Amino acid sequence: MHLLRTNILLRTILICLLLLVLNGCWDRVEINDLAIVMGIGLDKTEEGDIELSVQIANPKAMAGSGSSGGQSSGNPIVVETVTGRTIFDARSKLQESLSRQLFEGHNRVIFISKALAEEGIQKHIDFFARFPSPRLRANIFIVDSKVIDILKVPSDFELNSSEVARELAKLKIGMNITTKDLLEQLANESSSIALPSITVEDKPVGTKGLRVNGSAIIKENKMVGEIDNALSRGVLWLRDEIKLSSVTLEPENTEGYISFKLLRSSTDLSPTIKNGKWKMVVNITTEDDVVENETNLDVLDPKITDKLEKQLEQKVTERIQKTLDYVQKEIGADVFGFGEAFYRKFPKQWNKEKDMWAEKFPELEVEINCKAYIRRPGRSNIPQGTQKEEGVKK
Amino acid sequence: MKWLSVLGIILIALLITLYEWPKLKKNQKKEKKAFVVLMLTSVTLSISILYFPDMPGPTELIDKIFKPFGKLLSTK
Amino acid sequence: MLEKGKISALQMTVLLYPTITATAILVLPATTGNFAKQDMWLSPIWASIFGYLSVFIAYLLHHYYPQKTLIQFSEKIVGVIPGKLISFGFLFFLLHTNGLNLRDYGEFVIGNFLPKTPMIVIILSMAFVCAITVYGGLEVMARASQFFFPVFVVLFLFIIILLVPVLNPENIFPILGEGLTPSLKGALIPSQWFNEFILISFFLPYLNRNGKGLKWGIIAVTLVMITLVISNLFSLLLFGDLTPFFTYPFMDAARYISIADFLQHVESIIMALWVTGMFIKISVFYYAVVIGVAQWLDLTNYRPIVFPIGFLLVVVSIWSTPSLQKLIDFSGTTWPFYAFLFQMLIPISLLFIAIIRKKRSK
Repeated sequence: MHLLRTNILLRTILICLLLLVLNGCWDRVEINDLAIVMGIGLDKTEEGDIELSVQIANPKAMAGSGSSGGQSSGNPIVVETVTGRTIFDARSKLQESLSRQLFEGHNRVIFISKALAEEGIQKHIDFFARFPSPRLRANIFIVDSKVIDILKVPSDFELNSSEVARELAKLKIGMNITTKDLLEQLANESSSIALPSITVEDKPVGTKGLRVNGSAIIKENKMVGEIDNALSRGVLWLRDEIKLSSVTLEPENTEGYISFKLLRSSTDLSPTIKNGKWKMVVNITTEDDVVENETNLDVLDPKITDKLEKQLEQKVTERIQKTLDYVQKEIGADVFGFGEAFYRKFPKQWNKEKDMWAEKFPELEVEINCKAYIRRPGRSNIPQGTQKEEGVKK
Repeated sequence: MKWLSVLGIILIALLITLYEWPKLKKNQKKEKKAFVVLMLTSVTLSISILYFPDMPGPTELIDKIFKPFGKLLSTK
Repeated sequence: MLEKGKISALQMTVLLYPTITATAILVLPATTGNFAKQDMWLSPIWASIFGYLSVFIAYLLHHYYPQKTLIQFSEKIVGVIPGKLISFGFLFFLLHTNGLNLRDYGEFVIGNFLPKTPMIVIILSMAFVCAITVYGGLEVMARASQFFFPVFVVLFLFIIILLVPVLNPENIFPILGEGLTPSLKGALIPSQWFNEFILISFFLPYLNRNGKGLKWGIIAVTLVMITLVISNLFSLLLFGDLTPFFTYPFMDAARYISIADFLQHVESIIMALWVTGMFIKISVFYYAVVIGVAQWLDLTNYRPIVFPIGFLLVVVSIWSTPSLQKLIDFSGTTWPFYAFLFQMLIPISLLFIAIIRKKRSK
């Protein structure tokens, strides 16, 4: 009997002890104690310190606009700036002035200023792969003005400018590079990377907006050059990442233009080594639809489409060649993954000669084979508004 | 604050003993011995770790013995 | 007999599978990637050879000495005093390794999810749960594992399927670009994880039907190998050369998941995977230590020493390493040899001596 009683007593004590752990652990954080960071900007001060800007979601304003029918109480975002030796140093200083705990778990965009990128970006990325909360999926952008301006831009459609930037990257107008991609390229000594560059533009109605403005080329950890949107497309073509593209041609023997919309495209890099001579063959297959026809050509006619296909091929090749001329020959930055392609196909030769790659790359012979298919004429066949008998050229 | 942790250790040891001891029958001498020895080792070890956190442990011992082999796998 | 419970061969498999997979799944891509680079997915295949070997050795020993565990037959094979010494070494190894497992568990939980929670709280609560399971005996443990095994598999598959859209298949090339050596080197450390299958020696005597032990042991090794190949392959296809730079590549892979901007932040699944897996792993090691000590001291009941050993386990896990860096360094350099001695060399020598003895006695 006595034995039983001690046991019951003990069990009761044990159960009561369990209550102690029920309230959660030391790390319990309520959501209304969090300052949810939506975008992070990194800039350089004149003294060489880091200027950290963060865009924090303002839950008060968000809630207000939802329930009371558009009447928003204040700005939906709060932008804060602080300087420090490292990112975390700056972050700690920022925390001193915030009533809520900074939380980067939902951060989706990192803006890096050009000034900082020119000095090297690898050391600043480390934080985002080491600190527990940030995600490797955050998009990275290079900004040519002050980073804080970007964060302050109000947005028309999205909640904040970071979201706008991310959606722009997702549309694949320019490069779409996440922290993971950047780290991967930085770890790979032979390759360079093109980061999307974004800028603030004035809109006609007096507000401001964001615009993808080409790419910044990062070579050996430092930003070495910039290319415009057209050349960035070339990079996307070569990296097999192109999703949206329009090509406008001016066909021979007629007036006006024809526009094509890219449906799908695939790029295959096949490196060859013959007698010690390295060569890259780029095979591009692209499918396009006619979306606008200013000319009087009958796009239903297979003969004409054949001709148009030829021209389309030329145009695409031209564009890519332009990119190669600048990025490969002048800057000498392997943003296309050529080195990787060689490594994957010829690992032994690559390991022997990889130290020479930097010299070899600008001289590398590149052959572009483009094959274009025009599959459909669009909703109309002959140019709309012309008379069938006279206007159509065969 | 260390005495609090010591108190905690002793409390845990006490709870275990209170739970287990009544279950041991009179003729289970060996079990009793094993129980006492294990408990005492754990309590002394935990209290000594509390006061000398850098005391070399089993890992250091094993490390010493196997050091020459371990170097083979070291990437540094 | 100390243990009166009986388990089925299937239950043995579901006990052994998480025992090996739990830690390996998270850390393996980094450890093997260090040596094998893009061939890291081959390493678990090479390493699994040791797993098969371990199962085979344990099975043969079991065949010679049925109804006995490693602790008991080592005395029969090499004599009482050397046998006791070997057993002591083996038990020390198991206790120490389990302490490291427990610490590993704590480090992961703290490093990724609960940075401010004291280590002792996390370790103690896990040890307490495991102690209750071990106290319940082999059957209870097997049933718990039977319950958690499907959870483990389903969660793992969930992560794997969600990862598919972000993979880059090109990362796998060149296959065997630098020959076999890198992938073999990468197999060295995981080979010792596979050798943990020697723990099957503690289950074989308690199977309800004897003949199936070997078959299901081999199935367990194969399942573990497939799982590890998948986790290595997926980490490789996602991160490429970057894989060895992460502490827990598979964890970071899960964090990368984002389906339609909606299904994301699924890393808590990894946490669930880790907790269930580690619970079984620690329990299995814990059980082996408890039953081993009880047999070593010829006790009539192992239950009285469950809680004291659990206490000791917690002490060892706190004592064994001051930081994750040291832990990783130790398990990457010294531990494989330490483990090889106890998990491979000693069992295999016992087997040879046993064979010679049997032949002589005939």
